[in-house]
Amino acid sequence: MLDLLAQTGLNAVYAASYISLVAVGLVLIFGVMGVINFAHGELFMAGSYVVVAVYADMHMPFFFAVVIGLLFVGCLGLLMERALFRPLRDNPLGGLVASIGFLMILQALASMGFGVRMEFIPPVTQHVIWFTDSISIPLARVYVIVAAVLLLSALWYFLKRTRFGWALRASAQDPQAAELQGISIAHTARIAMFIGAGLAGIAGALTAPLVSVNPHMGHSVIVTAFIVIIVGGVGSLEGAIIASVVYAFVHTFVTTFYGGVIADITGLSLMLVVLIVKPTGLFGSADRA
Amino acid sequence: MISKIMAAGLSRRTFLKSTAITAVGAALPGAALAAGEPIKIGFLAPLTGAVAAWGKPGLDGCQIWAERVNAAGGIELSDGKHPVEFVSYDNEYDPAKARTGATKLIREDGVSFIMMLGGDTWPGVQPVADKTGMLFSTLLPSDLSPDSTTLIAPTEVHPIYLVTGVDYLADTYPDAKTAVICAQDDALGLPSVATYLAAFEARGIEVLEEPLLFDPATTDFAPIVTRMMSSNPDIICLDTCYSDYVHPISEQLFQQGYEGKLISATADFYDQMIAKTSKEFMEGFIFQFPDFDDPALAGDNINFEDAKGFYDAYAERHPGEWGAVSWEYASIMDLWKAAAEKAGSADPDAVITAMKEGGTGKHAFGDAKWWGTELFGIDNALVGDWPVVVIEDGKAVIKGFKSIPDWYDQHGDLLIKHMQAYNQMYDQRG
Repeated sequence: MLDLLAQTGLNAVYAASYISLVAVGLVLIFGVMGVINFAHGELFMAGSYVVVAVYADMHMPFFFAVVIGLLFVGCLGLLMERALFRPLRDNPLGGLVASIGFLMILQALASMGFGVRMEFIPPVTQHVIWFTDSISIPLARVYVIVAAVLLLSALWYFLKRTRFGWALRASAQDPQAAELQGISIAHTARIAMFIGAGLAGIAGALTAPLVSVNPHMGHSVIVTAFIVIIVGGVGSLEGAIIASVVYAFVHTFVTTFYGGVIADITGLSLMLVVLIVKPTGLFGSADRA
Repeated sequence: MISKIMAAGLSRRTFLKSTAITAVGAALPGAALAAGEPIKIGFLAPLTGAVAAWGKPGLDGCQIWAERVNAAGGIELSDGKHPVEFVSYDNEYDPAKARTGATKLIREDGVSFIMMLGGDTWPGVQPVADKTGMLFSTLLPSDLSPDSTTLIAPTEVHPIYLVTGVDYLADTYPDAKTAVICAQDDALGLPSVATYLAAFEARGIEVLEEPLLFDPATTDFAPIVTRMMSSNPDIICLDTCYSDYVHPISEQLFQQGYEGKLISATADFYDQMIAKTSKEFMEGFIFQFPDFDDPALAGDNINFEDAKGFYDAYAERHPGEWGAVSWEYASIMDLWKAAAEKAGSADPDAVITAMKEGGTGKHAFGDAKWWGTELFGIDNALVGDWPVVVIEDGKAVIKGFKSIPDWYDQHGDLLIKHMQAYNQMYDQRG
């Protein structure tokens, strides 16, 4: 039984890692831009397809493909900021609708470029770390965990210890006051979109060899991310990380001990309970970043 | 007059339905073919989305089939030969889109027959079939019910053929006595679960725990695999999981050190599974869908013409994409073509009458009978032998053909028991 608990715990740590990367990106975009980016799941998908193109098709090194995935999807974020969100800055509903349109475009582009079928990505490594005869974790999953810890730590440092980070937080808390202090809102918006989209892109790139890569893979990711940011508190980065861990552990343990369908119901119930008890989420208000 | 007809056994409901069908049918464009005009066949299946692997390869196979038939002159009806043409509609495995697609194919495209994957999409299409009397086919006989007399399952007898794989497993590995099952929680997964439960029970294989059902949106299968392996089963059954699930589940089983037997309805793109695991891990993987270059498909019992030639053409045009359904829709078309030529007409009523004449038909894997009243309430499934396929040295190999009706004659009560437990009998569905 202890082995089963430990193995399930390792599975949950992996799940928490990629969910938190996606959710933190979504929260960052919401915090600074004020829009719910429905296309965030498709940014995750775009990161996976970069790995298909660069690693699986062009046979370049996997980690090079991951970096390209981060940069490419970060640039997609910049494109979204310029083409969609900036013109609709005073219209949050318009930004949301535009992001839904953009997700459909990304899905269609993926279908046209790669076809509708699951993509085959050669394994990056088949090495498995064995703790006991029945407790193990594949190295490819460790990559995701390490990347999440490093990137989220770097993001924390950036936001708390650098001038750009302070500007970003100031823009999120009170855009007008920030602008009066000489902070360029357009500039902070670009930074937020690049980082937010890039986090989704790198999550998609790192997990691409571990999941089924297809044009519709973003759907389940965005649903999970929304649950997480609602539970954590829309706008709270700390809340998103903690809620990712809570959600991942609850979902993984319930899946293992009771079943996958019950786990989904439990995850949604968790969100509903939080909405009823504390509508702003566990960690704060909607205007924080 | 009407009262006489009623008295002779025609109910008011049947009379009204027949009248409505005649009226709608008369209004359908393209119902009657002019000499030499192409016969249009509807292909209403998922071409995008998670289930596309069971739609798109079938359409690719149909195009090859059409080229072969048209090169030989086409389909010969009473008024001469007609080329055949497929008109596709992507239902994205969505019932509402399937309904729209069926209506379009019938009313705008004037098709004479519609092939579907079935499953979750059939309830959306059923009212259209009832209204128009159009002949539909499904790969999933679990869609059949006495309410829809124009729906047939002439090729794939999912999930009943799964019993043959379990029989082979039990015969070959008598020491394998325990199993666990996982499946996605949908119209494909549940009847398949019931069938595997019956097949395991028939052979004295204990299923250690309730089948593990997961949401079709699942992407991370590590927790499911951990759970399945925790009871240390001799056999892990992947049920009728889509290939998007079979691949990551198999990879997880490999990474978590599973060493027992594996059985599944399909192993589409198994070369990719081998690349992600190992040849040794996949050795002995039992499933139900052969590559058509298998020498066993050159036998006299096989009714799929030039199976190897078809496979080679497919492999050349769509390298690495051969899957479970690549041949099935084409095989249905073989049966439809023979029936249409026999009837001398593409009219749905005439075709289905010719197809079912004598109660037998030429199934791809041998002569079979129209069957299914006990299980589906109607004899609209063509059931006979089905191959058991095993991966040996990295290649799918047919290990033999087993009779589904023979199994059912011995264990049909078990199948009905488990189908009822999962609400999958025809009188429980919908």
